[in-house]
Amino acid sequence: MASLKRTAGADPFAQNISSKVYVRSTKSGKVQKIVREVYLRQDIPCSSNLCQACLKSAPRNAAGELTPFVLSDKPAGTKTFPQGHYLVPDTNAFLTAMDLFEQSSAFYDVVVLQIVLEEVRNRSLPLYNRLVGLTKSEDKRFYVFFNEFRLETYVPREEGETVNDRNDRAVRKAVKWYGEHLAKTSRAKTVPAVVMLSNDKDNLRKAKTEGLNACSLAEYVGQLKDGDKLLDMIPDAQDRDVTRDRKPGEHLYPEYQSLSKMMTGVKAGVLHQGIFNVSPYNYLEGSIRVPAFPKALLILGRENINRAIDGDVVVVEVLPKDHWKEPSSKVIEEDTITKNENPDTEDAGDLVSEKERKALQEEVRRTQNKASETLPQPTARVIGVIKRNWRQYVGHIDQSSVSSASQGRKQDTVFLIPMDKKIPKIRLRTRQVAELLGKRLLVAIDAWDRDSRHPVGHLVRSLGELETKAAETEALLLEWDVQYRPFPKTVLDCLPKEGHDWKVPASTEDPGWTDREDLRGLLICSIDPIGCQDIDDALHARPLPNGNFEVGVHIADVSHFVKPNNAMDNEASIRGTTVYLVDKRIDMLPMLLGTDLCSLKPYVERYAFSVIWEMSPSGDIVSSRFTKSVIKSREAFSYEEAQLRIDDVSQQDDLTQGIRTLLALSKKLRQKRMDAGALSLSSPEVKIQMESETSDPIDVKTKQLLDTNSLVEEFMLLANISVAGRIYQAFPQTAILRRHAAPPKTNFEELANQLKTKRNFDLNVESSRALADSLDACVDPKEPFFNTLVRIMATRCMMSAEYFCSGTQAEPEFRHYGLASEIYTHFTSPIRRYADLVAHRQLAAAIGYEAVDPSVRSRGRLEAVCKNINVRHRNAQMAGRASIAYYVGQALRDRPAAEEDAFVIKIFSNGFVVLVPRFGIEGLIRLRDLAEPEPAAEFDAENYVLSTSGSRTERVELFQKVVVKVSDQKDEITGKRGVKMELVRA
Amino acid sequence: MPLDTSAYSLALLRVDGRRWNELRRLHAQIRTQAAADGSSYLEMGHTKVMCVVTGPNEGGPKRGGATTGGGGGGARESRDAEVAVSVVVAGFSSVDRKRSGRNDKRILELQSTISSALAASLHTHLFPHSTITISLHVLSQDGSLLAALINAATLACIDAGIPMTDYIAACTAGSTSTYAANDESADPLLDLNHQEEQELPSLTVATLGDSDRIAVLVCESRVQISRLEGMLAVGVDGCKQVREILDKVVRERGKRMIIEGALEKGTRVGMDLD
Repeated sequence: MASLKRTAGADPFAQNISSKVYVRSTKSGKVQKIVREVYLRQDIPCSSNLCQACLKSAPRNAAGELTPFVLSDKPAGTKTFPQGHYLVPDTNAFLTAMDLFEQSSAFYDVVVLQIVLEEVRNRSLPLYNRLVGLTKSEDKRFYVFFNEFRLETYVPREEGETVNDRNDRAVRKAVKWYGEHLAKTSRAKTVPAVVMLSNDKDNLRKAKTEGLNACSLAEYVGQLKDGDKLLDMIPDAQDRDVTRDRKPGEHLYPEYQSLSKMMTGVKAGVLHQGIFNVSPYNYLEGSIRVPAFPKALLILGRENINRAIDGDVVVVEVLPKDHWKEPSSKVIEEDTITKNENPDTEDAGDLVSEKERKALQEEVRRTQNKASETLPQPTARVIGVIKRNWRQYVGHIDQSSVSSASQGRKQDTVFLIPMDKKIPKIRLRTRQVAELLGKRLLVAIDAWDRDSRHPVGHLVRSLGELETKAAETEALLLEWDVQYRPFPKTVLDCLPKEGHDWKVPASTEDPGWTDREDLRGLLICSIDPIGCQDIDDALHARPLPNGNFEVGVHIADVSHFVKPNNAMDNEASIRGTTVYLVDKRIDMLPMLLGTDLCSLKPYVERYAFSVIWEMSPSGDIVSSRFTKSVIKSREAFSYEEAQLRIDDVSQQDDLTQGIRTLLALSKKLRQKRMDAGALSLSSPEVKIQMESETSDPIDVKTKQLLDTNSLVEEFMLLANISVAGRIYQAFPQTAILRRHAAPPKTNFEELANQLKTKRNFDLNVESSRALADSLDACVDPKEPFFNTLVRIMATRCMMSAEYFCSGTQAEPEFRHYGLASEIYTHFTSPIRRYADLVAHRQLAAAIGYEAVDPSVRSRGRLEAVCKNINVRHRNAQMAGRASIAYYVGQALRDRPAAEEDAFVIKIFSNGFVVLVPRFGIEGLIRLRDLAEPEPAAEFDAENYVLSTSGSRTERVELFQKVVVKVSDQKDEITGKRGVKMELVRA
Repeated sequence: MPLDTSAYSLALLRVDGRRWNELRRLHAQIRTQAAADGSSYLEMGHTKVMCVVTGPNEGGPKRGGATTGGGGGGARESRDAEVAVSVVVAGFSSVDRKRSGRNDKRILELQSTISSALAASLHTHLFPHSTITISLHVLSQDGSLLAALINAATLACIDAGIPMTDYIAACTAGSTSTYAANDESADPLLDLNHQEEQELPSLTVATLGDSDRIAVLVCESRVQISRLEGMLAVGVDGCKQVREILDKVVRERGKRMIIEGALEKGTRVGMDLD
């Protein structure tokens, strides 16, 4: 038999082919050996505009277009490299200091090696995406050099060499090649230096012996002009190197277990994986929801929390039964307990500070004194982190942590107190303490080692003075990850060329009119809040000869202007929603569309997507249809104006009659919905009144609800439900829908118990109908607000509604619990929500108006969109609330402390939380705020009563109405401003 | 985990370092099994297949018997030879060791595709009531499996001396971005490996000899119609390159056979020996 063997020498291409062999393990724990071919070539350009050789062999795409060269022919110089230089960072440089590379003052002309890009991708996908973003930005001049595919720079792994050493060698080889290549081919006389950036001492040493230019990040930044400021952004590597040498006994935290061990444990059901959440009232208490148990597991104390930060995905182990405890009934705030910690002398500290220890002792005493009626809850401890969910945090420097002696450019260690109370203090090293004090700062966490009590971070940038409107607004946008930068040019290029002059084409022959119904003759009007510029929806109703009514909901046809997959669509899908702050709106779509071309403004013709029903006078739908249309709104009412017009008997024109019809029908619809078990929930909503010129807040008002509010709401709900049914019918696998899961019963346990003991009301949570009925029954004849209060508290027990793609859930799971609807979606606000835009596209395809775009058919893609907009939606709400809270504080600032009614909504053993309905804010009142010295207190957890004695005698119980004095106060030590509440009388 | 196909746009390089229009290394041998009527071994990158041809043997299509192939010409007219194809995928050929069932639908489809493609080129009418048995063995898989099987079968049939109109040369073509990305500027790709096949839309095309006549066109992924033309053009161009390589393999082998004296003296050789 002829041999199949072939010798390497006989193959002319042998030297150009190599293979990459690596081992990977799958999720199920299987180990796979992967062999990939690698084709080595010599036509990968260096991409320097100086080079004369590479252009000839530069690659072209299928259309024959050449990729332009990236690296500048006149790169910037530094002190050491006056002739100019190209940077070649290694993986760690990017991993530790991506913020630096994104600076606009330095770091241009950077060569990103393929091996580095691969390693960054393996270590952190977000960082990889940021790096790819940099390589795509035109002004930063980042070039990806595929060193692994270039014959001269390819490095085979040697026997016994570790992967890291091999990769370091590959980086050095690429640096060397670049230097030699440029020297040979450069057009200019002075050749730019090729500088390797690395923090690895060994790598630097080897590079220097090989005669390469190499520096550490700190050395390099030191050579730059504004180096001092940038230096703060480098995480201190040396610092960590030193501490690593410590003896094992001195570690503050237990070591994390290996990933494979944890995975095996989780699979076996011994360990549990979940997202770590910190209690908003006690920074030393966390909880974790795991699939194995119906209730969340408690994680108590620093050591058990073991360096997990709110939002991290962690693995926990359940502690033995004698460690089980009740959740603390105490408020513990980090800044009050660890106020006097010194950031410099970390190593001296034990894990638990003296004060924390004291707080713990009290806790034990309390638990043991108690009758053992309430069972202790299972507790757990964190044994490893699967995925850190660290983001950038906004905060300010703790003034008390700054040593007064700091002068000049010495590096100081200070604490940063994040705005988010759930995040621990971050240790920060900086040379510019004096400048940073009293500023809002953006920082990133670098690491949290076993021997450091607090995480270590570095400064990203300063946002501005504390309490200035600009800095605070930016801070909360960053904190909630709201994309607020102006729209880039690529997005604006997608707008219609005519700009504000765009009009619906006059001729109905125009392609824009194809398949559009002419509804300009209908008496359509819109009803929105005062000053609303982005009008999404308009309505009409008219009687039909058969006694029924024709009702139409007309929604701005945004999908006509935003075509799938262009830059504008991508930007909108990332932003996900428009964010409304008190004084600002961060748009999802550019202004031109949102407030003009799409907005259904009165008196002009606009494109719309219409849902038209025939309804019987009792509010039953006889038929419904969907069509793209052209409409002309007759009037844009505010809720108040519309209400006045309805109530004014002298107005008998057709438009007013139409609104009256709508109102009558909406009441019927509402009744039907309520009968089906829809919940009427509540959250404290307030409105800030601004001074018109300075836009300073002057007063806070609670929002009023008019009949017309619910008129619009009812028809929007109806339109959404109708559309949801239609797109689900057309796309059973990929329709974008919105669901609201029924809350697990355990969520209501506490509230039900509270209502039972305090007011003897039964909370029935069997179904949404039962819940709605029992909420209706919770009425205190003496206190009209009591019902609202219960509703607010019930709302907090609910799950949040979410977008999903119909193929990912079983049909019974589609239900919207709060609205008591079997199916629901968002269709009516495409200007401000991306989900609606997708629903528009799907509906347009479903009615055959346009071809199905692949992006609305691809399930994977839709799932990604849903996931993003769910997060964005929540963040937008949070940002909006934070903005209101900030302005409430500002409004209170300059007025004398007022006495207000408040309600007790939560009781701790050392304080209680009150809700002030007038301002929609909550505040904590601690025992020690009541009187000086702190009064003794007795806490009856079963009956939710806290009675104090000694220096002040009060009795506070849950749901009680109290009078508090609300004022604005700045804590001189931490520099934090907040609303302060004082109990006037219980 | 190395970079994936989305990195193409960074420097117009594919995951294995090729450009959009480059084939992988194609290596082939014929007459690897002396005992068989015809045999071949072919590698397209890391996809490795072996082919053995037996026949044409007497004995028409077995009625009701367990014929492994899809009948090809035999099913149409019983006077033509039947092309029976069997594909065996070795358990060790891919990363995960898999036992495929006897009636794996994918394998059955491969067999019938190959059978009907070859039946169109082989002069089956010269061998009435007989069977040409083609056994293909997949030793290693790294994408473009159907193309490699067709090429190997073509070579083995030539080795077996079965008269045929021309080579059937096959390769795959794809596109640089996924269906969902709907990227207007996507480049077409030639000869996809396993990773690319997993992530990107692709099709397999085979042409008859030097012509633009298409013998096989299989597309199992979703792709925008606007990209199809580019993909097809690149694929057909790739087939021509493959044909050149196959042709060279056959000619080299023929030359060696003459030099080694495998042919009787005096047999006319219609080839230019130099």
